[in-house]
Amino acid sequence: MCGIAGVTFARGLPRADAHARYEPMVRRMTASLHHRGPDALRGILLDGAALGHARLSIVDIAAGHQPMTDPDTGITVVFNGEIFNHVELREKLRDTYPFRTRSDTEVILASFLARGIDCVEDFNGQFAFAIYDPRDGSLWLARDRYGKRPLYYFERGDSFFFASEAKAIFAAGATAAELDPRALLTTFYLWTPGPEASAFAGVRALPAGHVARLARGKALEARCYWWPDLADERVDRGMTEARALEELGALLDDAIRLRLRADVPVAAYLSGGIDSSLICALAQKQLGGSLQTFSVTFAHERYDERAFQKQVADALSTEHHAVHVADEDIGELLPRVVEHAENVLLRTAPAPFFRLSALVHDHRTKVVLTGEGADEVFLGYDLFKETQVRAFWARHPRSTCRPRLFQRLYRYLPLSAQSPEMLRQFYGIGIENPGALEFSHLIRWTNSGRITRFLSSAFREKVAGFDPVGEFLRGVPDAVRRFRPLARAQYLEIRTLLSGYLLSSQGDRMLMSNSVEGRFPFLDHRLLDLSARLPDKLKLKVLDEKYVLKRFADRLVPRLVTEREKFPYRAPVAEALVGARAPQWSGEVLARGAVDEVGVFDGAKVEKLVARLSSQSTAPSEADNMALAAIATTQLLARAFRGDHASPARAEQVEILRS
Amino acid sequence: MDTRSVIRSFIGETFFVEDFADADSFLQKGVIDSTGMLELVAFIEERFSIKLDDAELVPQNLDSLDNICHFLETKQKKT
Repeated sequence: MCGIAGVTFARGLPRADAHARYEPMVRRMTASLHHRGPDALRGILLDGAALGHARLSIVDIAAGHQPMTDPDTGITVVFNGEIFNHVELREKLRDTYPFRTRSDTEVILASFLARGIDCVEDFNGQFAFAIYDPRDGSLWLARDRYGKRPLYYFERGDSFFFASEAKAIFAAGATAAELDPRALLTTFYLWTPGPEASAFAGVRALPAGHVARLARGKALEARCYWWPDLADERVDRGMTEARALEELGALLDDAIRLRLRADVPVAAYLSGGIDSSLICALAQKQLGGSLQTFSVTFAHERYDERAFQKQVADALSTEHHAVHVADEDIGELLPRVVEHAENVLLRTAPAPFFRLSALVHDHRTKVVLTGEGADEVFLGYDLFKETQVRAFWARHPRSTCRPRLFQRLYRYLPLSAQSPEMLRQFYGIGIENPGALEFSHLIRWTNSGRITRFLSSAFREKVAGFDPVGEFLRGVPDAVRRFRPLARAQYLEIRTLLSGYLLSSQGDRMLMSNSVEGRFPFLDHRLLDLSARLPDKLKLKVLDEKYVLKRFADRLVPRLVTEREKFPYRAPVAEALVGARAPQWSGEVLARGAVDEVGVFDGAKVEKLVARLSSQSTAPSEADNMALAAIATTQLLARAFRGDHASPARAEQVEILRS
Repeated sequence: MDTRSVIRSFIGETFFVEDFADADSFLQKGVIDSTGMLELVAFIEERFSIKLDDAELVPQNLDSLDNICHFLETKQKKT
């Protein structure tokens, strides 16, 4: 895993000019990504492009250096991530390509030469890469199916900049880091600036599952090669529970086998929930007992899962490590978390992950498996149950007993909200149109959107007439509109929260902040294909979530874990950011004047919110917590990239290869 | 202050929403969420020295400014 960066420019530029202009640029870009790959910083100047690479060496440590060039054609690649099936692909390609290394990077070169950019269809992995082809001066970009690895770009005149993180684009001096009002508004509803956007004006993202070509004299042309296809026609009506269990077991085992491939030890995160416990159990079996596990513990019982973590670690005899995260740690970490996430956050939950990857790094470990993705692929979240109940209710919208199912679903809601009539008001949003694409997510997006109560009037004017939800929905493939409600929910969840938040702000960016690579067995795309073939009742059995996954886990994970109620992962917000234990920065950035200066939120309203949360003796509401997290991180993001992000000393360390 | 303004200003102070119409549904327009409804009920009980029965905790009585005002009027007439 690594960081990549680069810039294209006019071909035929005299070498001396190219060196004078683009060598310092690629040095600064690469140096700004140092945290992603501290093992080697290298760059290369070609006719028409400069490419940079920060390396975290995991496969073929001795020879797998980048940028890597095919000597015959001059095609050069910079690559962040892993092609897990590189061994099998190499077997197929070795008659046509003279391999010089054992690295997966070279497999990309060979595959690209064999079948062009469509080679991504053969890859089972997590990747973002750029290939410069000197034969026609084209730059090719590609990103893995779920967007596990990031890739941003910025176009200016005849220069095109790309990088793993936006900070490298700022380090190049390509543009200033200015918050993009539309991207912010979108984040306040969807938790992500959208598949093609970043939080910053002009900085775009190559969407998950896309490849793109920048041909000379043309604009970037992107094309989707994969999306979560959960069409009704794919469901195998004859699928039995027994066969589902058998196929799931075989695939998951193979997904883990591929993800244990590395020339360094592979460890695992253990949350204490069923998904990570299952990954740990299977990995420990394959490793024959050498697995290390890493966990976070909290002081508040409301967030802490240590009892379950210990139970699983003991049962599996892993070498277990835990780090304790206190409220004040979250407050202290958040500014650096935001610098790495490069996004507005609606929760503080990424902060403990920042601390956790530091623990892994301290144990000289570079790779961890995690349970991410199981809830999306096998229907684990309450949102799916809510969709199920709403779809059932929508068939008889006047029924008074159907909305009572919400009392079963949300047992913790206060009584007054639970009269059937109240439930109907709240959970009945859009109930008259269950065929709408957004049916499953209306309640979530309405709730998140309450952040906009705090916007300043000047900001409201800037985004007047812009409908972030509508904008996102317009980009969804038409076929998704024909999915059944649960499959539509699954698609939306994968494309918004999973790709745009869990894998990025809370995933890649928190892992890479401490040079640790995450690998996600549940997000092997073959498991999505299996999920597409399973009838819904094997995934969500009435209101029993992840049904087939739990039955499979019964054989491998302590019962205590498979039988526990689903426990959403959360971290303190108000407790960490206001009141007695608040860090100094929060007082500064949340002050009325500071808020008004940034101009996104209304300083007077924020002042009232902070005053209320500081004095309140009861637990803060979900809505207040979410607003506070969004406001604090917007304030932090606005000032995060004011300085230069590449240290001159580190830029000097970048080794420039002569082509 | 009349009842309408008292409740409107409570909602502004507590939930930070000012731009909503008298007839807007709090829950469907995102003015108040389901937990906020509890705060609203507690405020009404305290401010107007009344007690709401479970049977009265329904949208017709509580889920808009118009509804609350109408409900309070009727209730206060009864007592």
